[in-house]
Amino acid sequence: MTTFDANGITLERVREHVWEIPQEGDMRVPARVLASEALLEEIKEDKSLEQITNTTHLPGITNHAICMPDTHQGYGFPVGGVGALDAEDGCISPGAVGYDINCGVRMMRTNLTYDEIQGREEELVDSLFANIPSGLGGGGIVEPGIDAVDEILARGVDWALENGHAVEEDLRHCEDEGMREGADPEKVSQKAKDRGKNQIGSLGSGNHFLEVQRVTDVFDAGVGEAYGLEEDQIVVLIHCGSRGLGHQTCNDYLRKIEQQHKGLLDQLPDKELAAAPAGSQLAEDYYGAMNAAINFAWVNRQLIMHRTRRVFERVFDRSWESMDMHLLYDVAHNIAKKETHTVGEDGEERELYVHRKGATRAFPAGHPEVPKAYRDVGQPVIIPGSMGAGSYVLRGGENSMDLTFGSTAHGAGRLMSRTQAKNEYWGGDVQQDLEDQQAIYVKAQSGATIAEEAPGVYKDVDEVVRVSDELGIGDKVARTFPVCNIKG
Amino acid sequence: MGFELRDHTADIAVSATGDSLESVFAAVADGLAAASCDEIPAETGDRFSLSVTAERREALLFDYLDELIYLRDTRAELPADHRVDSIAGPASADGSSADGKPDDWHLEASARGVPLAAVDAREVKAVTYSEMRLERVGKGEPGSWEAYVVFDV
Repeated sequence: MTTFDANGITLERVREHVWEIPQEGDMRVPARVLASEALLEEIKEDKSLEQITNTTHLPGITNHAICMPDTHQGYGFPVGGVGALDAEDGCISPGAVGYDINCGVRMMRTNLTYDEIQGREEELVDSLFANIPSGLGGGGIVEPGIDAVDEILARGVDWALENGHAVEEDLRHCEDEGMREGADPEKVSQKAKDRGKNQIGSLGSGNHFLEVQRVTDVFDAGVGEAYGLEEDQIVVLIHCGSRGLGHQTCNDYLRKIEQQHKGLLDQLPDKELAAAPAGSQLAEDYYGAMNAAINFAWVNRQLIMHRTRRVFERVFDRSWESMDMHLLYDVAHNIAKKETHTVGEDGEERELYVHRKGATRAFPAGHPEVPKAYRDVGQPVIIPGSMGAGSYVLRGGENSMDLTFGSTAHGAGRLMSRTQAKNEYWGGDVQQDLEDQQAIYVKAQSGATIAEEAPGVYKDVDEVVRVSDELGIGDKVARTFPVCNIKG
Repeated sequence: MGFELRDHTADIAVSATGDSLESVFAAVADGLAAASCDEIPAETGDRFSLSVTAERREALLFDYLDELIYLRDTRAELPADHRVDSIAGPASADGSSADGKPDDWHLEASARGVPLAAVDAREVKAVTYSEMRLERVGKGEPGSWEAYVVFDV
């Protein structure tokens, strides 16, 4: 048997790009890592493998806890982790969803070509930066009263539609049509709402950004056509989440679990994996609150997208409709969803809380939960790269249901710590180099953020996507490359 | 005495020491401010007070840092120059009791609220329990308390 020694943890090769950490001790199932040996060399350097092993201790974990190819160390659960926990006798874990509930990305198409915006990049990046709130304390696009926050939590993008920040078609190109069933605003604390109400329609900071990109390659012409993508076309990618509302919701429930389900918590090797037993009142409450925060994040990205349409209107002096600026799709990265999956050798159907933390749902063609617009070709998956590298559009692959509970990677994955990045890079240099060498125009609230997000701190997104494609969990459709980037 | 920012692949960790529970709590909070902003202006902003209660000592540290992040967002100020005036625990317990009452531990603190508009700050999303340590390593001498906290960025 081929093995890989990852600093004391031995992984057994199951097949190409599939590695297993066998079940031992208190592990309830084996852990799996989907990676090439090149990616494993990077993954073994932080605590990702220890964290995915810890995750196998969660009650009700089914088949395997799984690392996607872009995995890196997080807190509790690794980033790039997928864990399916039985919804009847397992649990739901706020820590395994993460703080930024429904952090995710959406891509908007345009009918502009790269030629049409060359020479206008600085004007465009300045206008985007001036009009899209980012950073700390930058406010939001709307500042609704607390009643409106409750509406947003309950109705998601439908609220945006009613209030002039969306069109009908936007709903049809978003997972769950932009509204999670079972969202319960009453289960979101007043503190969380207080934090969120000034931040609706804002990027935040860290690795969140808005990027204007050009399509450089279409690998699958048929699927590319279904997604409305062609070479040289301009698209816009938006990466952000549920802001302070989601962060506070996660912490509120971590503390409640600590107080009410200490027995379960004491069984877990990392307190950040805190989970509420399925069927408990707290599990129900958290699921209602998390779904509400998911709606909030969708509205956040929707407001930013709609504002971006207005910015393009001003810069290019045309209506956004005439530039065909339509949502391609919106995917969530930090989420737990009740889904039915076929598990075990006898093909039993079970309802599971599928936790995807830094992982993307990637349902294949024909799956009933893929929006009608894409059901024949498979769900779009958007994989952002760093601001100096390409991003990818994939489609849910036909092996994803068997291998990963219908999931794939979510990005390039970090390689270098933020502190180290700031020692190695200076924001001003990074910004200048990107402009001079690659014609990428970057504007940020903070030079430190540019240094921390420098292209060199990320893994090779090409390799992450290659592995996803070869495994058949997310197939390559198109590649894009940055033109303008704004961040906090 | 004080704090250091430590490497973490995606996030930021603060390692802090103090000669009392109060001073190590304040040092972690100063680390949180430093993780948010490289240069905090010395004179800007007014001090404000806060108090926090929790059922255990570690939970008190968690809730204190969570409250500072909440106050940052709702006051639109970066809390800096932290002072923890008092921490009181249950008279008989050492603070590690598993089933403490919600108000067993109590903290009184203050901070200077630097308007966010006056600083080039970035967002620390949340305090985490991951790898959190709060330990007494000696009695009374400098550095006799140690804490390690990972923050989500």
